[in-house]
Amino acid sequence: MQLDYKKELENASRSMILVHDPATLIKLIIRLIVRKVKADHAGVILYDPEKDAYVLTLSGGKAGLKIPSGFAKFGRGNSLIKIFTDKKFKPFFQKKNTLAVDDLNKMFWQQGVIGDKKEIKETFHDVSCQMSMFNVVACVPAYFRDNLLALLLLGQKDTGSSSYEEDELGFLSALASDVAMAIQNANLINDLKKEVDRNKALFINTVLSLASTIEAKDKYTRGHTERVTKYALSIAKELSKTKIIDLPKDFMENIYISGLLHDIGKIGVPESVLCKETKLTDEEFLQIKEHPLRGAEILKNLPEFEQCLEGVKYHHERYDGRGYPEGLKGEDIPIIAAVVAVADTYDAMTSDRTYRKALPKEVAIEEIRKNSGIQFNPIVANVFVQMLEAE
Amino acid sequence: MPKLLIVDDEQDVREFAKNFFVKRNIDVRTASDGDEALKLVEEDKPDLMLLDVRMGEMTGVEVLRELRKRQCDVKVVMVTGVEDQEVIDEAKSLGVVNYVHKPLALDELEQIVLKELG
Repeated sequence: MQLDYKKELENASRSMILVHDPATLIKLIIRLIVRKVKADHAGVILYDPEKDAYVLTLSGGKAGLKIPSGFAKFGRGNSLIKIFTDKKFKPFFQKKNTLAVDDLNKMFWQQGVIGDKKEIKETFHDVSCQMSMFNVVACVPAYFRDNLLALLLLGQKDTGSSSYEEDELGFLSALASDVAMAIQNANLINDLKKEVDRNKALFINTVLSLASTIEAKDKYTRGHTERVTKYALSIAKELSKTKIIDLPKDFMENIYISGLLHDIGKIGVPESVLCKETKLTDEEFLQIKEHPLRGAEILKNLPEFEQCLEGVKYHHERYDGRGYPEGLKGEDIPIIAAVVAVADTYDAMTSDRTYRKALPKEVAIEEIRKNSGIQFNPIVANVFVQMLEAE
Repeated sequence: MPKLLIVDDEQDVREFAKNFFVKRNIDVRTASDGDEALKLVEEDKPDLMLLDVRMGEMTGVEVLRELRKRQCDVKVVMVTGVEDQEVIDEAKSLGVVNYVHKPLALDELEQIVLKELG
């Protein structure tokens, strides 16, 4: 056996730990085996937990000998799997962890024809048939603990000598257990990713139901939250394209949540004020003006909401400093709040309210343009106006 | 010798499946797309067709539809992906004798084919 490829395979197996995608990993191994061990083809049967079956996942080598990947599967009852998983066959693999077709034939003839031995003999025969069907002369199983995770199938060697040397198979077997370890790692990471996705979905759904509570209370703003979020997201997308402003990390996600929750503080405003159809008194107007702070109050204990909290708290600030609650001015207003502010105002102008009809789109756009640099951050207002006009 | 027509757009699959059934004393032809399949059915009158659903130009179901339109009642075993329930329903209504899911359990496929070829 040539040391150079041994070294290469060893290196590969070391880097495998870092590959979190089993498919890439196996592709790498197959390519190396075909090229360096000079097998005319090689394939991998991989355990698929969802199907509870072993699937021929990947193969490589000369055309015509290649086993089509994703084509065949093997149940636990299939002899080729059974021989590597059923305790009955363990004694046959005590010395080496691999199965070469020559050994298989020897073992076949050593078996009797009655009882257990008959079953073993039949299994050997069946395995031999399957190996010949796949043009495979050796199989190398890969276990993690006692579970068979993968089975490496090796075709004949290109070099004329059809069988593999013992130390070659021994080496491939060691490689196989590294593969199993890496697959196991990859599976764990996949499970973890799924868990993270589930948590994310749970989080988003929580935000959505929180957002829906405001709309349940204030029927005149029904649909408003959704539209503001939509506008804010489009503006944010455009801003990130133009690159005029450095946007904070995870800006899109935070814009999304800010949009959904920007009016959450209205929960703390009495319904009689919120839904009042006649003119508000000064006192009532003050109550309404409290909603950004109330919203910030609701979200303040959630560290994940730090950036969106700014969007909620400052979405009624004005560029000229005449807004509320803090009278922040110009660039002191966080960009996230500047985006929600313009989206919020535009939607308020273009929706029907009890005290007035919706303004036509053109009038609302003109209003935003006029107030750019006064009420609104000019860069944000400009991007939004351009976007609306292009629609 | 019973005649089997294998229709699949992947060369590896055609070669492998052909080899597999030739060893079982079956006369195997292969086609790589719908047009070729329709031509071979007419010329060769196979006893059974193994028809892959997912193919480039013409899907397996379209081939099947065309065959039935031409009043050809060749026996067909459909080869489908797990997710193709709609396809399976249509295939059933077009009178396929059976269907198998990819990835295939080869022993199961063998049994189905041998049974249909009597």
